[in-house]
Amino acid sequence: MRLLIRLLAPLFALAIVALGLLMLVEVAWAMAQPERGALLVPWPGWLDRAGQLAWLGGGVKLAAFALLAFGVLLLLVAALSGRHDVFLQDPAPDVTVTTSPGSLARIVGQRVRSTDGVRSASVTASSRSVRVRATSRLLDERRLRPVLIDRVNELVNDLPLARTPHVHVVVHSAKDKP
Amino acid sequence: MSRESRAAVARSAGLDRWAIGTIGAFAALAGAAALVVGAGWLGRPRSTRPLADPIALDWLRANQLAAQLVALGVAAVLVGFGVWWALRTVSRQARPDLVLEATGNGLVVTAHAIAEAIRADAESVSGVAEARARVVRVDDVPALRLQLWLRHGTNVRAVWSELDQRVLARAREALGVPAIPTAIRLELGSARRQRVT
Repeated sequence: MRLLIRLLAPLFALAIVALGLLMLVEVAWAMAQPERGALLVPWPGWLDRAGQLAWLGGGVKLAAFALLAFGVLLLLVAALSGRHDVFLQDPAPDVTVTTSPGSLARIVGQRVRSTDGVRSASVTASSRSVRVRATSRLLDERRLRPVLIDRVNELVNDLPLARTPHVHVVVHSAKDKP
Repeated sequence: MSRESRAAVARSAGLDRWAIGTIGAFAALAGAAALVVGAGWLGRPRSTRPLADPIALDWLRANQLAAQLVALGVAAVLVGFGVWWALRTVSRQARPDLVLEATGNGLVVTAHAIAEAIRADAESVSGVAEARARVVRVDDVPALRLQLWLRHGTNVRAVWSELDQRVLARAREALGVPAIPTAIRLELGSARRQRVT
């Protein structure tokens, strides 16, 4: 999302410049030569067309819905493009230390996969929680889950994180299938 | 954690997010308002009126000069804001050189030289596989942005202590400043793959 907002920002900025320039040119032209019509943008024709369309028309409603959806999409992009850094405790007053959720998930994943009996694992992490989904053929959930919770908690507590995330572990085991 | 070191973590995208969010809010409100009028929730007669309302057009014709001047002002604001936003978005973040002696011929250490020295120093810390350093300007104060790739199994606390006591202390001493706001980004367990030759 952050990359998207970085890409969208210059495009929108240029679109605003273009809109402003066209407005400047058309209004200045209309003030200087009122009887000669539009210069670059055929806005009198658009105005005539808008005079023929009513608010309850199907095309107008469709356009309004598209505008609403576009606006909500932009709002979502803006809202979701914040940074999701995981903060660590500061080693000194002028130093801020962060890591990425992906980085935290990577080391948790390495720890989980190195556990006996784990066949595969996927991990998602944030500053608030670490979620592990592990699969096993050899051990059932009742035996493996407490081991994984202990190992992940040990790893997370060893890291000087500013806020200790809550660890959630789900185990899918062939042993548990009837 | 100081405000400067927190701000040095990454270049802020606050303006981009705010501007795009505002455009989105206007678009959503305009779309919703058009749907409300079209659905007849503000009265059936209103929904049958044309988009370019004759009453509004008559008022604009009666106040043509004022309307044109307002339109010119709005257009000028749009151009000004758009140009400023575009330049701010595409320009590189400032990398300030450090002036150690302003008198005589002066003594200036370039941002690149500072960053390169700190990078080399940081890579000598045990457990650090690779480092990247950059000097950035935060609130008109030079700040340091340091990205460290740690080897698998490295003790983060030990890296911190060595970084602060050796690398950053040496940088502060060399530059003759009491403090450098520093943002450190740790990449854990992901020492970059080395090319085998």
